[in-house]
Amino acid sequence: MMMNGGEATEAELFLNCDDMSVLERQRVQLNYHQYHHPGFEPTLPCFFPNSSKMNVGEVDSFLPSAGLDLPEIYGELHGDARISVSPGNITTEFGNSKKRKFGCVDTETKVCNEKKKMMMMMDREVAVEEEEEEKSKVTEQCTRSIMKMKNKAKKEQNSCSNDSSKVTKDSQRTDYIHVRARRGQATDSHSIAERARREKISGRMKFLQDLVPGCEKITGKAGMLDEIINYVQSLQRQVEFLSMKLATVSPRLDFNIDDIFSKEVVSAPMMNLPNTVMPPHMMVNSGYPHDMVNSGYVHFNPMQQVVTSSDPLSCFNNGQSATMWDSEVQNLYTV
Amino acid sequence: MQPTSSMKEEFLKKWQMGLQIYRPLIDNTSVSERRKAIKLSADVAMASLRRGTTCWSRALIQKTATEDNFLVRQMLSGIKAETLMNKKLPKVMCHRKIVRRSKKILMRRKSKSVSEEIAAKARKLVKRKTQGLRNVVPGGEFMNNDVLLIQETLDYIVSLQTQVNVMRSIVDAAEAGIER
Repeated sequence: MMMNGGEATEAELFLNCDDMSVLERQRVQLNYHQYHHPGFEPTLPCFFPNSSKMNVGEVDSFLPSAGLDLPEIYGELHGDARISVSPGNITTEFGNSKKRKFGCVDTETKVCNEKKKMMMMMDREVAVEEEEEEKSKVTEQCTRSIMKMKNKAKKEQNSCSNDSSKVTKDSQRTDYIHVRARRGQATDSHSIAERARREKISGRMKFLQDLVPGCEKITGKAGMLDEIINYVQSLQRQVEFLSMKLATVSPRLDFNIDDIFSKEVVSAPMMNLPNTVMPPHMMVNSGYPHDMVNSGYVHFNPMQQVVTSSDPLSCFNNGQSATMWDSEVQNLYTV
Repeated sequence: MQPTSSMKEEFLKKWQMGLQIYRPLIDNTSVSERRKAIKLSADVAMASLRRGTTCWSRALIQKTATEDNFLVRQMLSGIKAETLMNKKLPKVMCHRKIVRRSKKILMRRKSKSVSEEIAAKARKLVKRKTQGLRNVVPGGEFMNNDVLLIQETLDYIVSLQTQVNVMRSIVDAAEAGIER
């Protein structure tokens, strides 16, 4: 399924909706952190006495010892492990029990696969440490699981941080996928990944709610999906109907292209009535505030009038027009 | 995200280009032939707006290529047409009957509480709906990822709205022209 993988990444890179702004914001935030806190060393309170010996700029200064030989492990990691932590995170960590979580779905699976392959001592120790971490969901304040990758492209990390729902930390050199589990929930990497996935889905569903008319009140996934399916089907039926109508209207497939070449929507025939009152010279191009780009317009009967496009969905949102389409569609099928 | 006027313009241009291909063929005198011509060229125009970045657009182009290869080739620039049409969409080899049977057996073995059963039914319902959505969106069968499916649906809906708006305005113009 190579194709699918390719398509998946392509589709994910191609974000055609407003969450691009969210991702941009995340990216900007990340860059800001990286740029502004290169050597940021948070002044942690001596909450965990064992941590006092460790270099503060390193990873887990607030993980309890709980039988782990932490200083030695982190001694080795010293070269690589530099994480810049924003002050906001630290205060919240010790303050409230509310946890922030972020996870990276795609690269997490890659990590799981690649960790099995890599035989570096670092990773083995990290794996050991992770298992012990998972066993010891200990502290009053924090439960955390860390997954590390070595020598992975920065690109992955960026896409990872873009995919993650909330990014609180980032590493400088090596690529970390920092995952903090919520309090009282599993630190299993799978469940975290699943949770990230679910949040992504619900985020996308919210966009769909904005797009599909008339589902502000529907809360469940099944109901929303129902509405979406109906909407898509009705749009497809409309296309069929309109193409049929067009085929009957113009036997030679020559449409009045010229006047539609600009963005304006042609008004309904009922607008022609006021035209009879207005003198013809008012219909000239320049007279209109909304400019008609083309000169083809002058070929037209001055009885026609063009107005700026109203909100494109407004006519669609009309319940009346919907029923009208339906009846016409039924006529279509009986022909 | 609503369809923008630039999208509408682009769609219109491409659609007209496609219709130009049909115009010399005067033998499409029957209404159904013309309807087919209109719809196919509109679909290809809509899909080509995305320039092959989304899954549904590629699937749609391939679908119309099976109906009218010549049109698709003409409408898309030479390079794109070749790559898009030679790419065979991966077939999802999933014997649904077998999977369903094995799942049923598994379900029988488990003993569940009431709340679990309700949750399981809800999940089944959602799964059925997503399958229904996959049937509606072109190329949906190849989107195993739910996130991808919803993203594609979003994009597809916006494109459909563009298509409908432009077509409707053309129809209105044509009708108004006739009523002169």
